Amino acid sequence: MAVAVSKGLARVKEIYQDRPRRVKELKAQGKKVIGYQCVYPTLEMLTAFDLVPYRILGDMQEPITKADACLPTVVCPFIRSCLDLGLKGRYDFLDGVVFSHVCDVGEKTAHIWRIYLSPAYCHFIDVPHTTHKAALEQLKEQLKEFRKTLEELTGKKLNEAKFREAIEAHNRQRALVQALYELRKPDPPLITGTETIQVLMALMSLPVEEGTQLLEEVLAEVKERKPPAKKMARVLLWGSIIDNVALVEMIESLDANIVIDDTCVGTRAYFGHVARTDDPLDGLVDYYLVQIKCPRTFRETNTGALKKDYYTDLENRFGYLKEYAEQWHANGVILQSMKYCDIHGYEVPSMKDYLDHVGLPNVYLEHDYNKSALAPLRTRVQAFLEVIG
Amino acid sequence: MVTEKKKKTINRLQSMYPLRANIDEMYKRVVEASKVGKPTAWCMVNWWEADPILKAMDIELVYPENYGAVCAAVGTAQTYLSRSDADGFPTHMCGYARNCFGYAARMKELGEIPPEAPLGGMAKPVLLVSSGALCDARYKWFQALGRYVEAPVWTMELPHPGVVESQKEGAYEGAIAFMVKELREFIEFLEKLLGKKMDWDKLAEMTDDLVKVNRVWFEINELRKARPSPMNSRDFWSCMNASLYPSGDPKVSLKLYQDMYNEVKSRVDNHIGAVENEKYRLAFAELPPWHDLKIFDELAERGWNFVVESWAYHPPKPIDTSQVSDPLRRIAMHTYQWLTGYFQDALAPREYMGYFAFPYLEWARTYQCDGALLHPLLTCRTATNHLMLVQDRLLNKLKVPSLVAEGDIVDLKLFNHADTMKKAVIFEEIMDHYKQARREAGFEW
Repeated sequence: MAVAVSKGLARVKEIYQDRPRRVKELKAQGKKVIGYQCVYPTLEMLTAFDLVPYRILGDMQEPITKADACLPTVVCPFIRSCLDLGLKGRYDFLDGVVFSHVCDVGEKTAHIWRIYLSPAYCHFIDVPHTTHKAALEQLKEQLKEFRKTLEELTGKKLNEAKFREAIEAHNRQRALVQALYELRKPDPPLITGTETIQVLMALMSLPVEEGTQLLEEVLAEVKERKPPAKKMARVLLWGSIIDNVALVEMIESLDANIVIDDTCVGTRAYFGHVARTDDPLDGLVDYYLVQIKCPRTFRETNTGALKKDYYTDLENRFGYLKEYAEQWHANGVILQSMKYCDIHGYEVPSMKDYLDHVGLPNVYLEHDYNKSALAPLRTRVQAFLEVIG
Repeated sequence: MVTEKKKKTINRLQSMYPLRANIDEMYKRVVEASKVGKPTAWCMVNWWEADPILKAMDIELVYPENYGAVCAAVGTAQTYLSRSDADGFPTHMCGYARNCFGYAARMKELGEIPPEAPLGGMAKPVLLVSSGALCDARYKWFQALGRYVEAPVWTMELPHPGVVESQKEGAYEGAIAFMVKELREFIEFLEKLLGKKMDWDKLAEMTDDLVKVNRVWFEINELRKARPSPMNSRDFWSCMNASLYPSGDPKVSLKLYQDMYNEVKSRVDNHIGAVENEKYRLAFAELPPWHDLKIFDELAERGWNFVVESWAYHPPKPIDTSQVSDPLRRIAMHTYQWLTGYFQDALAPREYMGYFAFPYLEWARTYQCDGALLHPLLTCRTATNHLMLVQDRLLNKLKVPSLVAEGDIVDLKLFNHADTMKKAVIFEEIMDHYKQARREAGFEW
């Protein structure tokens, strides 16, 4: 008797609960699986070499024990969790890893991972911090180096046609994710924030074509849904990585829907588009360094101006959030960051200034990437929702 | 009653005092220059990548990181930290940054340098030069300063290759080319900002001076390998600033460092140590508790001599760039050497944290350390990320144990002096044990 294969959201949930299962199957069939950290490694390049990209994420329900020996407690708990899982063998199925200079802790952890886990293939992409002309050129050089290492790993040259196909495949997936987010615009939204995270985490655990097929199933299923009951608040969620539904579930268990986000298992990973350029690397450089909105990239307003106008600068840095709020009809913003995440922490007062300036009520929550520690935040969220409701 | 004046246990270098005074003069000098219309920049430490360019453009430089240490040392920091906390900056963020936010908030409020500001305060800047080197705070902080300061920000790029990647064919030339392009963009920006052209001869001279300063400073630190070690970390922390924060005339700093070299050399020749009866030789990592530097004196009373410290504040291993005619390429080579100077040696033993961590391994061996005092900073990821790795490597590769004492560079509430001293007493037994273990394993010390 054939085993029924689940589809759509049911399959998403299965993958969410056991992320590596599918890539382990693919590995058994001879595919190579490459782990990557954060959203900066060039997935299109991995796909073009027939490698399966698999995002390295943490597990906020797993106590950090082994990583204590090589990464102190006063650094990003998400990255500590990733390393902890690596040290516990949970990423042993990977055939290699690719890291990038996303943030200071991410960079140092790449080197620590290499020392303690001795991956068979490991490459570090040194992503510049700015969008200066020299920085864009430098990233292009970095991508050429990355390509060389993949050629050595796979024993084959990069096929330009396949490379362009891979870029299109990832663009198609991004476009479909954007279509999924469109279904959050109605009131009530047709898909919850919780489900959206599960979908995106599933996509980060599958080869691109398979993920896209799943996404198409999800879109078809969600479009057919009867609208759920309306809720009082529509919330924009901003901040550091969310790779577990716990926080979003907590917010949505109250009288609110997360309708749009600015996080990296969210819009940051999917709201761009790689342009078709004569040299495909140019489009990738623009996408990865200019389009991705992570605060790890420094953007200065009016370079060369004698004085900086604070609110012009804020508009330049955060104006897209106002657009998100308008398009998704959000009536409040929850800013959240993990403790010890510097790149998000430094944004908070300015971000609050901006949101106040444009009339978007907001609240800032800090947490330590621990499911059981979320309970005290519930009261604060509840109070905030009452204010904006 | 006759009170006996307590003898200082660290034999401080006499040449340190004029060097330190020259550094402390920086703030008043810049305030005065600012009053007569000279442009001031607030700069992150940029390891000589931006400094010579800014100085050649006649911009006065002050360094808020150094000012954080000054405020911590004189006790003003707590006021500024509180203000930063009240303005919504998370408390786990860099103590220097939070001190600076508090200072800048006060300055904006008053429209002038706050009266309580030590050493005359930091003059109002027309430019903020942040740095992508090593830590996120050092560019996010200046971006966040926009709340209080209207000056534009330029973030200096610096490549951060992995150890493996840095040794690949073409990697070195690629990194230098990137830096040179970046420096040209920076100069274009400055010329537009200031409405004047770069004086290339002056830039060449500034670069030359800073390279010379760092060479002498490097040689001074090499002399510390002697037994007994002639210079304690206490003096290092007092004097590193003239290299790291090269405000003022580098020719003056060069002369003062040369005087220091002569004094340290004389001590080596005459077997004079920085600590009488040097019993334990230690490395210190990372930045010290500026608010509690007396702990070095108390440890010296027990025969502890800190003979070497954190890689990030040391000058680069010298390379010969005298034949390089393009000052921008020379700057790039010098700064890149500082960052990656240990990478080649780190590759063979697979020590992939080629900066921060690997130098400790090399130094513990060449400076013959008995132990290391690791100071994880509760508000600084960059100075802390690698310390567990350092602890592990020192013990397992060299049988050199570490004492971990958590604290902070600025916030005195986060450091427990008494507890650290108690642990230090116990740690001596551990150092004795491993001294024996090293001998049995055939180590030289």
